[in-house]
Amino acid sequence: MTFAKRSSAFALALTTSTFLSFSTSFAADLSMWVRASGAGAAQHLVDLWNTGHADKKIAVTVIPDNQMVTKLATGSQAGDVPDLVSFDLIYMPDFMKAGFLTDLTADLKGDPNYAGVAEAYKNIATYDGKIYGAGFTPDVSILVWNKDLFKKAGLDPEKGPTTLAEIHADATKIRALGGDTYGYYFSGACPGCNIFVTSPMMVAAGAKILPAKAGDTPLDGDGVKAVLTEMQAMWKEGLIPASAQADNGASFVSAFMSGNIGIEGSGGFMISLLKEKAPNLNFGVTILPGIKDGQQSAFVGGDVVAIPKGSKQAAVAKEFIHWELTDEVQLEGLAKNNIIPSRPALADNKYFKDEPRVVTTAKALGVGYVPWVFHFNDMVNSDSSPWIQMLQTAIFDGDVDGAIKKARDSMSSIVAQ
Amino acid sequence: MTGTVTTPAHKTPADENRIAGQNNLNGYLVGAIAVFIGALMLAPLVLSFFASIKPSAEASAVPPSYLPHSFSLENYDHVLNFGAGLGTYVGNSLGVAAFTIIFSLVLSVPAGFGLARFNIPYKEVLFVILLTPLMIPYQALLTPLYFMFAKLGLANTLFGLAIVHTILQIPFSVYLMRNAFESVPRELEEAAVIDGCSTFVSFRRVFLPLVFPGMVTVTLFAFIASWNEFLAALIFMNKETSFTVPIMLVSVRIGHFGAVDWGALQAGILISILPCALIYIFLQKYYVSGLLGGAVK
Repeated sequence: MTFAKRSSAFALALTTSTFLSFSTSFAADLSMWVRASGAGAAQHLVDLWNTGHADKKIAVTVIPDNQMVTKLATGSQAGDVPDLVSFDLIYMPDFMKAGFLTDLTADLKGDPNYAGVAEAYKNIATYDGKIYGAGFTPDVSILVWNKDLFKKAGLDPEKGPTTLAEIHADATKIRALGGDTYGYYFSGACPGCNIFVTSPMMVAAGAKILPAKAGDTPLDGDGVKAVLTEMQAMWKEGLIPASAQADNGASFVSAFMSGNIGIEGSGGFMISLLKEKAPNLNFGVTILPGIKDGQQSAFVGGDVVAIPKGSKQAAVAKEFIHWELTDEVQLEGLAKNNIIPSRPALADNKYFKDEPRVVTTAKALGVGYVPWVFHFNDMVNSDSSPWIQMLQTAIFDGDVDGAIKKARDSMSSIVAQ
Repeated sequence: MTGTVTTPAHKTPADENRIAGQNNLNGYLVGAIAVFIGALMLAPLVLSFFASIKPSAEASAVPPSYLPHSFSLENYDHVLNFGAGLGTYVGNSLGVAAFTIIFSLVLSVPAGFGLARFNIPYKEVLFVILLTPLMIPYQALLTPLYFMFAKLGLANTLFGLAIVHTILQIPFSVYLMRNAFESVPRELEEAAVIDGCSTFVSFRRVFLPLVFPGMVTVTLFAFIASWNEFLAALIFMNKETSFTVPIMLVSVRIGHFGAVDWGALQAGILISILPCALIYIFLQKYYVSGLLGGAVK
């Protein structure tokens, strides 16, 4: 083959692939960015919308979770934003303050469906008396236990633990089964997982975790120390697998799914996931407990939906938000797929009748909390945050008091910025 | 002293057998080491493949099982149908990679020729300046570049993304092409001039065929870099239908709170390795000579 022939074949191949790549575009009326871990739930709602609104369809773009903040911030500054965005509700205060979102007060104040949205969502999406978003694909933390392992260990498989001490006692009995079976699991290097499942136990025990403004005391109350001490004891006694220490969240779901973990803090999403991926796993769901009987709490998570400033189709986007809060969509889009509705009053519905475990998550939404704070990323979610450093120093190194004090100082200085 | 003198007499058949035996033994030893190293290199790929054909619950099991207990294509199905469909992402990635290759070649071949064959004042300084982008972390450049591209209407286009990938690729490409042109003997160029070739004709007729391996190397590197690039693609592209394969790979594996869908991840990795492996296999005979061009004189 001569050089000329070789080059032209080469060029031809390149050009063909280039043209092919351009043939793959299609027009969509509205664009919506959704963070990856909320994409499955959001797709149910968007599909429902698209079947009834052929003239104004929504195209979903899935953004990797940890890139959503960067992407929305750069997009907003460059004026290149989607019409709708669904993201982790915890970033709402920062985005509202930065002025990235459209004020929806006038639209949502008069919407009776909005009035029924869970307080946690209404609260996190309000800034200076103005509303900037609504609950979209809710989630809430819960405690799951493996009924088969409970049975094997001689525990009542139908009764989940109701205090932290009970978790410890049950975990001890399950670990006694030996081998690869462990009593308790948590992702020791995942700050987000632990604010979701460990902090509610502290809150249930009366603690206040994050400071809303300078001058507030972070990690306030005995609950913080009580929970850390109990977890440190479980770690020392070998009730938690060694792999938990380095788990940055990769095994947050799979550890329990494999069937050899007795108890784990998890989220409502776990119910449908386990039913689909591990249909033989017999598990129970209860609300995360505190130190004393009757103390309960949960972390309200999931996504909020908002309209970025600069949305080219804000009117239709607003219509979508009104639409997603209606009874029909809450039931057919969310409840039907084992996802709790944003409006707690709809928890008692025909789809949940057969699945009492989802009803438990709906109840957890009622007792749940979500911290309205700025700098959540610096205080909690970043890999070197004071929150995760406190957990690691206290649980794995054993210095509970020192860990709390250090995290308190560090959080105070972040909030004072 | 009348001692016996040992001479290096003829090798007896016994000696020859011994030597042959030794050679055989050495051969086996080298073979065994090669097989061991090969197995070590292949192990991650084989394990990935096994994980990809397990049902997703088994792929995520803790502790992991190494050999699949049951066979399932659900992970491949998940990757194929994720978001806008694998075809869209592969099409976008190929499109961007193709543009990147074209831009890189069009810019780096003449640049390499110029730097290698002409007496340009401050040539070395120019060359170092051309290499400086290698020394700046490109993540720092992306946000300002994005704002600029958004103003020019280049954000969210494959063309724009290819320009970014070319910017990242150019220093190395110019470096390679300069070496490739420098390795062409002066005598050939002089012969061409004596035969009446203009600079352009000698460039096309004499140099280009000789630096072809270098161009292939530039092509390979541009392709692999563009095919694997994640951050710029994420920042510059805003639509699911314009995302490239690496973004899909990150999204497809994400569960709640960073939980990883291992099965889907492994299936995605294997699929994404294919084009790189194929292009490398087809072009490998040019590749080594291209990379070493000008390395030794």
